Amino acid sequence: MFPFLIRRFFQSIPTLLLASVLIFFVISLAPGDFLTPARLNPGISEQQLANLSASFGLDKPAYVQYFYWMRNMIFHGDFGLSFQYTQPVLPVIWPRIVNSVYLVLLNLVFFYAIAIPIGVYGAVRQNSFGDKAINVVLYFLLGFPSFFLFLIVIYLILNIRNATGWDIPLGGMTSGNYDQLSSLGQFWDVLRHLLIPALVLAVTDAAGLTRVIRGLMLEVMRSDYIRTARAKGVSESSAIWKHTFRNAILPIVAGIGGLLPAAISGAGFVEVVYAYPGITPMLLTAITASDLYLIAGFTVISTILLIIGNALSDILLAVVDPRIKVG
Amino acid sequence: MTTATPTPQSNNRRSLGQSQFSVAWQQLRKNRLAQTGGVLLILIYLMALFAPFLAPDGLSNYSTSNITRFHPPTPVHVRDPATGAFTRPFVNKYTQQLNMDTFVNEYKPTAEQCPIYFGVRGAEYKILGFIPGNLHLFGTGQEKPDCNVFLMGGEALGRDLFTRTLYASQISLTIGVGAVLASTIIGLFMGAMAAFFGGFVDTVIMRLVEVISAIPYLFLLLLLRSVFPQDINPILALYVILGILAFIGWGGLARVTRGQLLSVREQDFVSAARALGASDNRVMWRHMLPTMTTYIIVTLSLSIPGFILLESGLSFLGIGAVEPYVSWGSLLAQAQDGGLSSLNSRPWVLIPGFFIVFTVGCFQLLGDGLRDAFDPRKRQ
Repeated sequence: MFPFLIRRFFQSIPTLLLASVLIFFVISLAPGDFLTPARLNPGISEQQLANLSASFGLDKPAYVQYFYWMRNMIFHGDFGLSFQYTQPVLPVIWPRIVNSVYLVLLNLVFFYAIAIPIGVYGAVRQNSFGDKAINVVLYFLLGFPSFFLFLIVIYLILNIRNATGWDIPLGGMTSGNYDQLSSLGQFWDVLRHLLIPALVLAVTDAAGLTRVIRGLMLEVMRSDYIRTARAKGVSESSAIWKHTFRNAILPIVAGIGGLLPAAISGAGFVEVVYAYPGITPMLLTAITASDLYLIAGFTVISTILLIIGNALSDILLAVVDPRIKVG
Repeated sequence: MTTATPTPQSNNRRSLGQSQFSVAWQQLRKNRLAQTGGVLLILIYLMALFAPFLAPDGLSNYSTSNITRFHPPTPVHVRDPATGAFTRPFVNKYTQQLNMDTFVNEYKPTAEQCPIYFGVRGAEYKILGFIPGNLHLFGTGQEKPDCNVFLMGGEALGRDLFTRTLYASQISLTIGVGAVLASTIIGLFMGAMAAFFGGFVDTVIMRLVEVISAIPYLFLLLLLRSVFPQDINPILALYVILGILAFIGWGGLARVTRGQLLSVREQDFVSAARALGASDNRVMWRHMLPTMTTYIIVTLSLSIPGFILLESGLSFLGIGAVEPYVSWGSLLAQAQDGGLSSLNSRPWVLIPGFFIVFTVGCFQLLGDGLRDAFDPRKRQ
């Protein structure tokens, strides 16, 4: 297992490097650099401009700038300077990334808690009334953009709030009195805010995965070794969960790595609707303000997350599938 | 031992040689759901084509004297309330007045009736960009300028939401499909190059695919959009979005194309073609790429819904279709104008979203039908 992991780790380094090259050169394609708005600002002196220009190597060709950027990033953990915030990028974006990861993790918990039981049920009771009903609903759900479903949910919540007076949170991550709450109260407050967006996201995403799990389960259930297991007399639950399910989910486990960044992307739309202090709302303002190093910072960090996610899914795959350990 | 006499086949037509496409077509003909999806799609595309005629108003028409911000939908009546007899369809004229308790502008129907005429003259338009006209399917005519028929209510600037939804379908239905076509062409081309040249070209292309898939798609989209200025020409912005969507979508197809072509290259019919003296071009276009046809048709139809959803999302975030053009996604962004907490006072702004759901559903039915039709294991 370890040689396998180490090999995968070294394979991911060139990808990460090339991704950073791509990100950087896409950014340098943009008209003007991040000093263009600063030159129009009378509060910033010529000397400061020259200093900034020299520290980022903006007076040098693009590939030299890239090496400066790379050197600052690797050796100093410095992602450049955010122009809107006039602060280093990392302290600005880090809390946003943590917030997004909270949302995504809770979303993933719901995602699997919904998709796995329904998918397995659909395969075990194939063509039953329940299976068909679920299929129709899922087919319908597949067509919903997540932000649209979320708008509908908000509309329903508003009506419930008006009818019953329940205080269901409608946006943000914390209530107004967050600072006065005890630490347990703070935890519950954040969880309460996260619950609805995470659930809505999970429902839209789970529509696809449920169909995949159902298909994979059906394929494995027809194989000879399941018939053999049944003939041996294993219990029904063992035949389904231990023999079928463990084999059926292998392709899904292999894909978990790609899930984290995809989920962060997908959560972006809901973050915007919910005014959640996550990555995407900040990224959108960064784009209107052409705060290019901020954009690059977010993209690089989420790419690193993808690599970490891939490593995690490799480890999981090795845990689930004993054949990997040999290779 | 008895010899079994072969029973004469009653229906010999099916045993004639059939092309792959005629088999698939027959399979598709048996699939009612896929057919329904296909027919509904044709209808919705016709709707988009004739949107200016079907819509009662122009795309960006609004009155500056009679502001109808978030006007509620006007129900169409066909019976005269006084006599109960059937009349020409009409809508009530609405007045607005500020409720001094809640400070909300309230719309109230009055007794005055605005008759709806069919085939009225109204805003000028050009169907397909060159057929001029000013005839509209229905409308309140020009005698009473303050009469409005708002089938789906009004939006933030008081424009007719129904009109704008119809116009938006032109953009929403084009960009998704256009992006899929473009990304298919790029994917095929890149995959074929990688397989054909091998070596350095292969490494570069496959690495590029890997890198593109390593960056989360939403961020890559936003990054690429930030290369272009925010205030570019709205028409150009549509092409930019189409191009960006195509750029992030071609990777998977390129990978499959490369794999398929590499395996086909070793097969006998390709060697035979080469032995007969066929040029590289001919081998590629006449012998190798056609083995991909089925796969391409199926992935094409199955990836359209995803791109339509993505386009709606980008427009929702405000970086897709921009004024004066609209797409279903940018219409949904209106739900946020004026604060989400008052959404329950104007639920009709959510209606354009159901057009997305409907279209995506139809594409999915058709795509699933095509996949099953080309799959020999699912043949009936």
